Amino acid sequence: MANTTAICTSAKVKALNAIALNADTLKAALYLASASVGAATTAYSATGEVTGTNYTAGGITVTHATAATSTGTTAFWTPTASYAWTTVTLSTSFDAVLTYNSTDTNSAICVNNFGATTVTAANFTLTMPTNDATTGLLRLA
Amino acid sequence: MNEPLIWTSKGNLPEKDLEYSKNWEFKDDSIKFSETYKLNGEIVKQSAHVFVLRGHEIGALQGEF
Repeated sequence: MANTTAICTSAKVKALNAIALNADTLKAALYLASASVGAATTAYSATGEVTGTNYTAGGITVTHATAATSTGTTAFWTPTASYAWTTVTLSTSFDAVLTYNSTDTNSAICVNNFGATTVTAANFTLTMPTNDATTGLLRLA
Repeated sequence: MNEPLIWTSKGNLPEKDLEYSKNWEFKDDSIKFSETYKLNGEIVKQSAHVFVLRGHEIGALQGEF
């Protein structure tokens, strides 16, 4: 064996768990295509958020029953259920979802852009990727 | 068997009486599927489902002595 320079994988797992603690309430909000959420976003804001029938400002609560874990040297974490908005009408084009920690001062976690979308009197769902080191929603490699 | 109905400005109409279209959009990290029902060109029902294929990867960098 030889000593190697590395960020310890256990620290990567702790870092991800610090972002999305299992005990915390995480939420997901949708944003208009005209909004500007992204890497510079620090916290949830209603500015640019979609509005429409059956959509509640602030978005939905994210189900995340599984803490971050690792495979090899990559830590990863993924919500354990799809994001779903039921029978909504969102007539103005939207294209992004912000996942944020509402327990931790609404701090932003990540933004996913899925292309311009509108919904009329129907469901909108975001199915999460497989929770592994290759595709997980958040991966620290 | 009951026919599925969709609410329109002309009341509840059977799905088969409406113009139906579906669309798939493929991106590197997601696939989106949407279904649209129209009555005389007006959208009366439109759903969308996004399958996220891959999330965000953060590269951890470490300084060396």
